[in-house]
Amino acid sequence: MSDFEPKIVAFFCNWCTYGAADLAGVSRLEYPPNFRVVRLPCTGRLNPKFIMEAFKRGADGVWVSGCHPGDCHYIAGNYHARRKFILLHQLLESIGVEPDRLRFSWISSAEANKFQAIARDVVEHVKACGPNLAFRKEELKLGLAEVA
Amino acid sequence: MPEYIAKKSALTDFFKALSAGRRLLTPQGAGDQCRLAETAPDQVKLDYVNTHMSPKTLFFPQTEKLMAFHKDASKPDANIYSCAGDKAVPTVVFGLRPCDARGLSVANKVFQNDRFTDPYWKGKFDQTVSVGLACAAPAPQCFCAAMGGSPYGLTGLDILAFRLEGGDLGLKAGSEAGEALLKDLKLESADLAAVFNSQQAAAIQAQGVAPDYRPIDEANLMALFQDPHWLSTAENCLNCGVCTFFCPTCHCFDIQDEQDEKGGVRMRNWDTCMSWLFTVHGTGHNPRPSKTERVRQRFMHKLKYIPLKQDGVRGCTGCGRCVAMCPVNIDIRAVALKMCQSSAPSQA
Amino acid sequence: MPALEDVAKKIRESAKRLLAEGRAEVVVGYRRGTIPLTTAPFFARTAEECDQLVWSNFARINLANYLPGRKKVALVAKGCDARSAVGQVVENQIPRDELYVIGVPCTGMVDNALVAAKEPRPIREVVETTDDSFTLKGEGYSVEVRKEEVLRRNCRTCAHRTPKLADELAAPEVPGATPDDFADIKALASKTPAERLAHFKDLIKDCLRCYACRNACPLCYCPICFVDETRPQWLGKSNDPMDTLTFHLLRGLHCSGRCTSCGACETVCPVNIKVREFNRILELTVQKEWQYEPGLSWDQKPPLTMFQTDDAAEFIK
Repeated sequence: MSDFEPKIVAFFCNWCTYGAADLAGVSRLEYPPNFRVVRLPCTGRLNPKFIMEAFKRGADGVWVSGCHPGDCHYIAGNYHARRKFILLHQLLESIGVEPDRLRFSWISSAEANKFQAIARDVVEHVKACGPNLAFRKEELKLGLAEVA
Repeated sequence: MPEYIAKKSALTDFFKALSAGRRLLTPQGAGDQCRLAETAPDQVKLDYVNTHMSPKTLFFPQTEKLMAFHKDASKPDANIYSCAGDKAVPTVVFGLRPCDARGLSVANKVFQNDRFTDPYWKGKFDQTVSVGLACAAPAPQCFCAAMGGSPYGLTGLDILAFRLEGGDLGLKAGSEAGEALLKDLKLESADLAAVFNSQQAAAIQAQGVAPDYRPIDEANLMALFQDPHWLSTAENCLNCGVCTFFCPTCHCFDIQDEQDEKGGVRMRNWDTCMSWLFTVHGTGHNPRPSKTERVRQRFMHKLKYIPLKQDGVRGCTGCGRCVAMCPVNIDIRAVALKMCQSSAPSQA
Repeated sequence: MPALEDVAKKIRESAKRLLAEGRAEVVVGYRRGTIPLTTAPFFARTAEECDQLVWSNFARINLANYLPGRKKVALVAKGCDARSAVGQVVENQIPRDELYVIGVPCTGMVDNALVAAKEPRPIREVVETTDDSFTLKGEGYSVEVRKEEVLRRNCRTCAHRTPKLADELAAPEVPGATPDDFADIKALASKTPAERLAHFKDLIKDCLRCYACRNACPLCYCPICFVDETRPQWLGKSNDPMDTLTFHLLRGLHCSGRCTSCGACETVCPVNIKVREFNRILELTVQKEWQYEPGLSWDQKPPLTMFQTDDAAEFIK
């Protein structure tokens, strides 16, 4: 399992975590390259179906990160998002998604070091979970052999 | 044609012979778990009401692969669609109810007719021997006789079995293939016409007085279509589509493509005229914008359009599933009566 | 225990009065079903039609489902239905002054699957006169069934059986039952994630995606549901278990903080899936986090439309 490199879909708020990732880059802070980043205007834009879509298509983990409470560019987007996350987090954990596959964080655009630390932590935890085989769509059964 | 008898003491042998070289499917499980399942010859049950879902699932599953391609670039046929689908297996189904067999024959004319043949349906349908079991006692929701059928009907069946006193099974051929198969089985033949007829008459009588739905057949199509009763008929409909999924003659489907890293599949899935999405156009226009149009479509299709296309045969065979399953008790018998009234000559 | 006919009489009287006064143009209630163990939603617009209104132990459908967009409507409502109607007013689906609630204190509705388990023989007729028992009749038999033994799961744990915010009541108030203890939901925590996922995949394995649960739900009034969206298409149309699970998860989330446990979704499911398990996971969380129960106030906002700056979310680091 040591050579397993997870694919993680990351939903970052444009005004904070996305900037933190940028700052980490220009600051030459090394972090693992397992993320496919989707830039959002605000975590309030995050519809739970985005997360489901990521898992459904085979993502091994999902990481959602936005502005610290009180710092939202749109005043209250992340407060609304937080309530949604509380429910989503509880629901997915209850139906059997390993808690380590889904991560939420608050990272401001100045916190490049925090970004680096959490990025490493997320990858480490998803790696420990192993590939996502159960909470995704089944591989299509092409049935070509039967035709041949 | 004479009838045959399978003795109670030799029923297992009968089912063994019937299923030689074929898999045997029979209704298993009770209530909402009753479904057609592969059965050993000594496990066949005769005391069920009917399968929860209609047997159309045998030939027209909820999801069915039509074509597929792979993305293996090292092979010459990469990314090229070719025919896929589940292989048809020689099958004998025992225990179809006559209403369902008649329903399958209606759907069969949709999938196989003089203009068009659906290979996916045909492959499975042609390899299946249909053996029915007559209904001596109707369930509360049954009304096959009112829809022009019979609890002892032979339409769509190769063989119909009916229970005789003492536990023997009477067998009557419904097709030439069925007749040939019965001869091959080397059963005792007998003249059971009188028993069959009296059982049938009693079973039909047990369903009560059948309303006469013929005014619908005679009515003007546009008069039926434009009748204002559809507004109130549809008012409590939830547009869930349970009626269409459980109906033995409903056959509408939606074709979808899906792909992943290794390849792609074109498949067809059950669809329902109760859904908004069923008719919405690419432009956003929807010719059936509200549930009134959608409900009208379903009943007009069953009771008017299919009879027009299939020489008067109705698209409803009275299996009663939609009546029993409808969450808001929209009863096709009551709707048919409304349609009869709306087709009175003064409105035609 | 009031006789069902007395309740029906009250409902008919009120319905006729409301129509005559012009307070309502339509009364949404129940009429007798055409087969045993059912009722049908019914829309009465004239005094004659009001005579078809009934009260029954099988009045399961939540009639608040028919409210959005209507004007001048009177609603026959059980405790849960009345709460749904309040929710729709709060969510601006119908103005308060267009709605009149004829509340019917309710002792629970019957689960037909439990009746079938108790009485497997074909049932030709049901005779019901009171709200605590009924008689099943079939070929050569007649059995009395106590309603208590065949109540729907949500009715057994209904704490709000009397519609508190109704404009009038058609029967005497009844005490609420012991609320849901969520024991099965809490017990999930002792299972491994793999066991939990297997449980929920098994729960929905028969799902046909007919969406009856969605369509019967008074909370599901979106003009276009996410399952019907095509650009992009969020859900595959096949019977893939993950697509099916996604539907149930998102349906649950959309109902969170709004669900009144009316049980309509489970009642209408043609393959008897206990779809409320998804709702109940969220219901438990909503009660724990925000001490909120929907439909008990005309002006309290649902928890997902608001926030507190100090909402606790320890898992967000």
